Amino acid sequence: MDFAFTEEQVLLRDTARLMLANECPPSLVRAHIDDPSVADGLWTHLRDFAALGVGPCTDLAIFCEELGYVAAPGVFFATVALFIPFTFALGTGEAAAAIDGLETGTVALAGTNGEWVANADPVKAFVPEADRVDWIVVVDGGPEPRLGVFPQDAFEILPVQTVDFSRRLFEVRAREDTSAGGSWHSISPEDIRKHLERATVALAAEMVGTARRMTDMSVAYAKERYQFGVPIGSFQAIQHKLADVSLAVERAQSAVQYAAMAIDAGDPDRHRAVHTAKAAAGVAATTAARESEQTHGGIGFTWEHDLHLFIRRAYGAAYWMGTTDWHHDRLADLLFSS
Amino acid sequence: MQLAWGDEEIAFHDDLVAFLDEHTPREMGSGRDYADDGSGAYADDHEIIPEWSRRWQATLFDHGWMIPGYPPALGGRNATPVQTLVYLEEMARRRLPRSLHFPGYAIVAPSLLEYGTDEQKQLVPAAIRGDTVWCIGMSEPNAGSDLAGLQTRAVLDGDRFVINGQKVWTSYAQVAQKCCCYVRTDPDVPKHKGISLLILDMDTPGIDVRPLRHITGAAHFAEVFFTDVVVPRENLVGGLNDGWRLTQGSLAHERAGLWVEGVSRLEAQVESLVDLAQKRGLDHDSGVRRRIAAAYELASSLRALGYKGFASFAQGSSAPEHSYMKLATSEASKDLYELGMELQGAYGVVVDRDRGEEQGRWLNAFLMSFAGTIAGGSAEIQRNIIAQRVLGLPRS
Repeated sequence: MDFAFTEEQVLLRDTARLMLANECPPSLVRAHIDDPSVADGLWTHLRDFAALGVGPCTDLAIFCEELGYVAAPGVFFATVALFIPFTFALGTGEAAAAIDGLETGTVALAGTNGEWVANADPVKAFVPEADRVDWIVVVDGGPEPRLGVFPQDAFEILPVQTVDFSRRLFEVRAREDTSAGGSWHSISPEDIRKHLERATVALAAEMVGTARRMTDMSVAYAKERYQFGVPIGSFQAIQHKLADVSLAVERAQSAVQYAAMAIDAGDPDRHRAVHTAKAAAGVAATTAARESEQTHGGIGFTWEHDLHLFIRRAYGAAYWMGTTDWHHDRLADLLFSS
Repeated sequence: MQLAWGDEEIAFHDDLVAFLDEHTPREMGSGRDYADDGSGAYADDHEIIPEWSRRWQATLFDHGWMIPGYPPALGGRNATPVQTLVYLEEMARRRLPRSLHFPGYAIVAPSLLEYGTDEQKQLVPAAIRGDTVWCIGMSEPNAGSDLAGLQTRAVLDGDRFVINGQKVWTSYAQVAQKCCCYVRTDPDVPKHKGISLLILDMDTPGIDVRPLRHITGAAHFAEVFFTDVVVPRENLVGGLNDGWRLTQGSLAHERAGLWVEGVSRLEAQVESLVDLAQKRGLDHDSGVRRRIAAAYELASSLRALGYKGFASFAQGSSAPEHSYMKLATSEASKDLYELGMELQGAYGVVVDRDRGEEQGRWLNAFLMSFAGTIAGGSAEIQRNIIAQRVLGLPRS
């Protein structure tokens, strides 16, 4: 039992942190609102880390936390956390090209009801970055589940606009001639679950990063903002609020790390740990968002201030791939069945 | 990062399990029930330190399982920090307290080892073995969270101190033979700089102990009054007026594992809530299921936070996790006992042992759990510590 980062993991975190501070400033996240192609420059740096898609989940989580800290836009999550794990075992080549950072992909799984469980809905929704990737994997959750690997242009792709500009979601519909140019492969429900659990932990890690960013912003603001002649951070009302936010972030970060370790070890506790991680990250992200807004007061309510970029990212992620309530319900299923 | 224990920890754990299986007293109860932690905290009418618990503590000491990180002469076996964590987890999992009186082994012994004279250090083995029962004179009617504002006065008169004043909420004062007492020895300097620590024999003339019933009706603590109590100067621990920094004393190498008991209690509460919901036919109620799942999420994420804090402690950094853990476990524990009451409907507040299957256990534990967010640094003080020492916000 050892929760300490290895030297390699510390290096990974520090490298990611430094690179993202330079390559993904808030100005880029802001520019991405009107022009998604500004994420392409960022991808030229991020794709060097695409092999994290087949490495330990603990390493992927470390990297994703840093992505969340800067609200990184673009195809990294879709490609590395979703597309690569789903296609790697097929051995058909698309994953290999993606691991080398040469191609990109996404996964269409949730049906129009928004639930991230395998389903037979012919229309898939909440598909990330579907208009800007090379490949789309469709998960068909019929009685004999299968994966369809298709070029992106095989589908009709309609935007699903959400609060979060930094993560672009789409509805994906088959065209009449979709079956041409693609391939179908059978997949077990256990493998679908395995890939989804890994992606869920990666998303939870991102959310921890976003929550940590908002906490840092709020602590910094509470030190520099004076009212009644003193920094507002000297008031217990603010101190206790930020102490609670910080606790939520700390425990979510720990829950994410534990879930990633459990996945890497194939531990039987991993299913509960994944639901715990996403739920704890959801609580941390939305709590940090609300309380950061309150700590910033009027300035945090403006478009010019960067805080809303992270509030948007936090809420978008908290409602994606299973809300906190949804994960609590799945957790309850496991607790009450044992 | 690694989830499994190493071979050294597994061997250590095997030894511990063999010892516990052989020696655990029958009176300790069976283990799994949240309310049965053996501390007597939830019972309202029995001896504060029963004879079997004294034998148990001595047995632990004699076999090197009382404070594993200490050498054998002090009831340990020179365990590593990780082995100590294994020990604390196994004891918590079995709901096995080492002792039913914590001040001696957990606070007095480490303080004397660090700051005491050679003569004072002679008191340590008996404090850890439980042969001597200690109490600690800290809180006063006007010094709670503001401990440094304490007013009990000790005047140095030649080779002796003369003490006058009052302590309150003093746990075990009515059964203790000795007391580590914080007193004001210089009233004319800033409050933190005029405090000293003295060792008192509780049978010294002028000490008057009045047991104080707490909210459940039991009396595990007391008021202690001092009237011209004479203490020899050699009973001073550390330097004159240097007592404040001694208040921070606790088992330093177990500090990174202090969270284990609180988290284990939460986990046991969650298990008991699942059982209770099933017994009450509420296991298909989506609201109840969600609340219990949220409680599980909290407990399980806090265990992970504890491990993370332990890892940074083992690497030599001062882990701030203790304040997070104390705050979160004490507040959550209160919430979960209250949830247990809610699941019983009207019977949630019934204490009549002939009515209702739960016999008021959740209510009693709920009332006891109020202490968790008050004693040993209130929830508000923990938030201040997090805000100021971890986040670096300015003091008000």
